[in-house]
Amino acid sequence: MAGDTRRRGATPARDRRLGWLDGSLATLCLGSLVVAVVAGLVQVSFGAYTMTLVQAWGAVFNPNVLFDLNVWRAFLLGADLPEMNRRSLIVWNIRMPRVVVAVLAGMCLAVSGAIFQAVTRNELASPFILGVSSGAGFTVLLTLVVFSGLSSLLPLLAAVGGTVAFLLVYTIAWKGGTSPVRLVLAGVIVNMVFQSLQRALFFFADDLGTVQSALGWITGSLTGVGWVDVRIALPPTLVAVTLALAGARQLNVLLLGEGTASSLGMRVERVRFLLSGVAILAASAAISVAGIVGFFGLVVPHIVRLVVGSDYRRLLVGCVFAGPALMVLADVGARLALNPVQIPVGVVTGLVGGPYFLYLMRRQDRMGEI
Amino acid sequence: MPDEDAAEVDRERPGDAADTDGRERTTDGAESGGRARAPDGAEERRSDGPDTDERARRVRTAQTRAESKLVGDSLAVGYPSTDEPVVECETVVLPEGEITALVGPNGSGKSTLLKAMANQLSPERGRIVLDGTAIQSMDAKELARRLGLLSQENSSPGSLTVEELIYHGRYPHRGFFDSLGEADHAAVDRAIDLAGVGDLRDKEMGNLSGGQKQLVWIAMVLAQETDLLLLDEPTTFLDLHHQLRVMEVVRTLNDEQGVTVGIVLHDIGQAARFADNLVAMKDGGLYDWGPPRDVVTGELLADVFRVDATVDRESPTGPHISPHRALDE
Repeated sequence: MAGDTRRRGATPARDRRLGWLDGSLATLCLGSLVVAVVAGLVQVSFGAYTMTLVQAWGAVFNPNVLFDLNVWRAFLLGADLPEMNRRSLIVWNIRMPRVVVAVLAGMCLAVSGAIFQAVTRNELASPFILGVSSGAGFTVLLTLVVFSGLSSLLPLLAAVGGTVAFLLVYTIAWKGGTSPVRLVLAGVIVNMVFQSLQRALFFFADDLGTVQSALGWITGSLTGVGWVDVRIALPPTLVAVTLALAGARQLNVLLLGEGTASSLGMRVERVRFLLSGVAILAASAAISVAGIVGFFGLVVPHIVRLVVGSDYRRLLVGCVFAGPALMVLADVGARLALNPVQIPVGVVTGLVGGPYFLYLMRRQDRMGEI
Repeated sequence: MPDEDAAEVDRERPGDAADTDGRERTTDGAESGGRARAPDGAEERRSDGPDTDERARRVRTAQTRAESKLVGDSLAVGYPSTDEPVVECETVVLPEGEITALVGPNGSGKSTLLKAMANQLSPERGRIVLDGTAIQSMDAKELARRLGLLSQENSSPGSLTVEELIYHGRYPHRGFFDSLGEADHAAVDRAIDLAGVGDLRDKEMGNLSGGQKQLVWIAMVLAQETDLLLLDEPTTFLDLHHQLRVMEVVRTLNDEQGVTVGIVLHDIGQAARFADNLVAMKDGGLYDWGPPRDVVTGELLADVFRVDATVDRESPTGPHISPHRALDE
C-alpha cells in the first residue's frame, strides 16, 4: 500500500528530470534564432558598398567561404585571409563581424544581468548596478584622454576598470558579510563617484575626435568592429556562459534567500562572490568590444522571465538565445534608423528599452523582488 | 577549558546520573541557574520557596541528560549590530529522539538561540556540539545533512512549483555537478507524503495559502533527511487547521523516525501539549527546563509571560492553561 503510493508519486518526478525544457522555452529559443538570423541578414546587406539583397545573401551563403577552414582560421585565430571575391570579402570581413560581436555582447549582457538579479535578489539589478559600467567608462576615458599611448589595450583596460569598481563596491558593502541591499547601495555610491570623475575628464580632452570616440564607448556602439573584436570577446563569453549555466542551480537556491540557502549548506558569501565574478567576466567581455550598452542587461532577463518564469535553468538558456537576437535587432536599428548616419546601439537600447520597461512597470503590480 | 567541559557533557549518561550524583549537582546548580537568568533582577522571587531550587536543579540536570543530540555550552549569542549579547545561557540541551520546545515572550531570545544552534549565528562565546562534534568546525553541507532548519520567514519566487522547491532540500546531498539520483527522488517523495502536500505538487508557490506554503517548506526541510530538525515558529500566523497539521507532521516524524526536534513555539499551550520538554526563556536567559507538567506552572506564567493564569496539571492532554489577565509591571 505504502509502496504503491510512493511509486505513483515517484513516476512523474522521474519523467520530469528534463521537464524544465518546456514549450515556452523552446518557443522562445526558436523565435530568437529566427529573429537573430533575419536581423543578421538585413544587417549584412547594407553599407557603403551597394549591392542587392540577392547579391549580399549570395555572398553570405557562398560555400567557398562558409566551408573553407582557412577562412575560419583567419577570422577566429587571426591567420592571413585567403583570396575571395569582392562581395564575399565585404560581407564576411567587414559586415559579418558586427553581427557576431552583437551576438556575443547580447549574450554576455543578458546572462550577466540575469546573474546579478539573482545575486542581489532584485529584478532591477543590472550588470552596471554594481559599478562595472562606471568603472569601465572611467578607465576608457582615462586611456583616451590621458594615456592615449595605451589605446590598443582599451578593451582589457575597460574590463580591468569594471572589475576594480566591482571589488570596490564589494569592499564597501562588506560588513561581516554582505546583503543585496548593501551591495546595491554601495553600487550607487561607486557609480556616482566614477561618473563625476568621467565628467571631469571630459574637460581635459583636447580634440573633438577624442570626445566622440569616448562618447561612443560610454553609450555603447558596434560601429567599426572587426574579427579582432570577435577574437577578444569569444573566449571570455564561452567561459562565462558555461559557468553561468553550470551555476544555474546555485542561483535558484540563492533566490530562496540567504537564510534558506545557508541552512541548506551553501556557503552563501563564497557562492555569491564567485557568481558575481562570472557576471563581471561576461559584462567585461561585452564592454571590451561594444562599450557600455545601457538598459540591455536590465531589460532582457526581465523579458525572458515573463516568458519562461524565474527558474534559472530556463531563464539562463532563454537569455543565451534572446540576448543575441535582441542585440542584433537593436544594432540593425542603430545602423538603419537614420541611414546613412549611424547612431550608437546604446542609444537604441536606451530609447526602446526605457519605455518598454516603463510599460512593464505599469502593467505589473509588484516589481523589485524576484 | 571549554573542551573539557563539553567532553564532560558528552560522557554523562543517564546511568551515572544516579540520585546521589544528582543531589550533588543541585548545590552548584543553584548558582548556575541563577546566573542564567541574572538580568531579570528578580532576586527576592528567586529565594522564596522550594520551587526555585527545583527549577535550578532541572536546568542544571539538563546537562546530565544523556543521549543529548545537540548541546549548547556556555553560550553568548548576539548580532553584529548589537554590543551586548542577546542570549546568554550556561547549558541548553536537545535530548535525542525527543521534541523540545523553546517558549518565552517576544524578545526573550528563543529564535536567536535556535539560529545559533543551527550555526546560522556565530556565538561570541561558548560552543554548540552535535553528536559530540562542535558544529562550528563542520563543513556547511555536512551540517545541513545532519541538521535541518526552517526559518520563521521564508520566501520563494512565486512561479516556483511546490515540487521544485522541495527538490532544493536535496542541495546538501548533491555535489556541484551531480544530477538528481534515485535517492533524491525517493527522499522528495517521502517528504511530500509525510507533509501531506501530494495534491499541491505541481502548483506554483505564489498560488498557495500561508498554511499550505508552510507545509511545503516543511516538506523541503524533510527532504534534507536530517535526524535533527530545528523549526522557528512554524505555526505562527497559521489557522488552527494548519497549525495542527504542522504539529502532526512534526509528531509523526518524531514518533516514526525518531527525529530529534527543537521547535520555537509562540503558544505555550500548544508547546505544553506537543513537546516532551520545554525550555522556558526570559530576557535572553534560560528560566526553566523540563517536561511540560513540571515546567508549566502559575509561577512560570506570572514570571515569564507576565499573565495571571491557572494551570490544570492533571488535564489528560498535558497541562491546560486558563489565562485570566495581563499582569502589570
